[in-house]
Amino acid sequence: MLTSEQHQFTDAHQAIEFYFKQGWTDGLPIVPPTPDLIKKFIGHSGYTSDQIIGEEPVKGRTVTIEKAAINSVMAGCIPEYFPIIIAATKAILESEFCLHGVTASTMGAGVLSIIDGPIVDKLSINSEVSTFGPGHRANATIGRAIRLIIINATGSKSGELDKATLGHPGKYTWCIAENTKGSPWVSLGKEKGFGELKSSITVFAGLSSIQVSNHHSNTPEGILRSFRDALWATGPNQGEILIVICPEHAKIISDSGWSKNDVKEFLHKMTARPDHEWGAGSLPPLGNVPSGDTISSATLSPDSYNIIVAGGSAGAFSTVIPMWVAGIGSKSVTKEI
Amino acid sequence: MSNISDPLIVLDPTVSPKTINTKLANRPETLNGIKVGLLANGKHNSEELLQYVYDALNNIYEIGALRKDNKGNASRICPPELLNEIAEECDVVITASGD
Repeated sequence: MLTSEQHQFTDAHQAIEFYFKQGWTDGLPIVPPTPDLIKKFIGHSGYTSDQIIGEEPVKGRTVTIEKAAINSVMAGCIPEYFPIIIAATKAILESEFCLHGVTASTMGAGVLSIIDGPIVDKLSINSEVSTFGPGHRANATIGRAIRLIIINATGSKSGELDKATLGHPGKYTWCIAENTKGSPWVSLGKEKGFGELKSSITVFAGLSSIQVSNHHSNTPEGILRSFRDALWATGPNQGEILIVICPEHAKIISDSGWSKNDVKEFLHKMTARPDHEWGAGSLPPLGNVPSGDTISSATLSPDSYNIIVAGGSAGAFSTVIPMWVAGIGSKSVTKEI
Repeated sequence: MSNISDPLIVLDPTVSPKTINTKLANRPETLNGIKVGLLANGKHNSEELLQYVYDALNNIYEIGALRKDNKGNASRICPPELLNEIAEECDVVITASGD
């Protein structure tokens, strides 16, 4: 039985305007969440409406299946996406993700979701051309649903408890699949412990990505050398960073026999330099500005890197995505879908 | 099948915060001779800010004792064990953010 407060209108347009006035949107029109639509979503989930997905303890918010379904309808999802959104909500409400900090902070991170497994093809979640771009309903609306849940169900509204200085465009939506067909390596989902028959979602508190271009190198070292300045821009001793390698770069690297671990080791060594050369960095280090001759790398260890392959087959552009508070304030979380 | 003139019913997507029944702590009549706790939140300068406040109060009163703590992470609630420890030991606690 649905227990959320009801509002009554003569038509959808009136309802849409009401949701804008209430501050219940991300600035874009929503799909009016009618009881029939919400019940279809809940029916697809295997849960009941009153079951609790999780709690955001700082603001004292309990997120139920019903509230997640309402926001998922609003986002423009189809019922088949709802199990993904439930898994993502569980993930962001895990203590180590630190959702309140991520979403209230002046640093302004977005929640990046990366989906792996059979569900990617089943629901046509884009992992190829224009991976982070518009045009794919699953990518657009799943990411949007997660943000609407954050706004409405956990109470993190822009300008109120969300005090980001600049914010992040990923706060509208930021959801992709990993391009496992275009990848020579094991998937992120598998690295996190989920076999090929399982689908999973990993959430990251991502900051602005730094695109890396290399159309001239044909060795792993040559390709990865291009990542150095992007990684130096993130500041030293990051606890976690995400590297999105395009299929062309991945093929050149793996054709030389390099694994993901080889890439991680190389990046860790390549970015090592004395602390006085790090200076203030583009992103604030934790504590004081580094100085002296101690050697620090962009990451605390090679294992700080998460690597996925995504993107189209044309163009040799990869990207570095640093994380909120140096990848230490928030940890990525993976949940089975 | 719904009639075109039927009203459109839609649901509220928001969640209200949990209600906590609480009251203000009793105020001491003076800060003379009491134990003060300073609880920094982990942000830069939060310890310095608290020290400044303490020094200003200590110029006015004769504060009995001081305990300093830092919860280390501004984005997380203070560990309950630490809060309990501070509450048992201190008469008054001042907490602050820096930046």
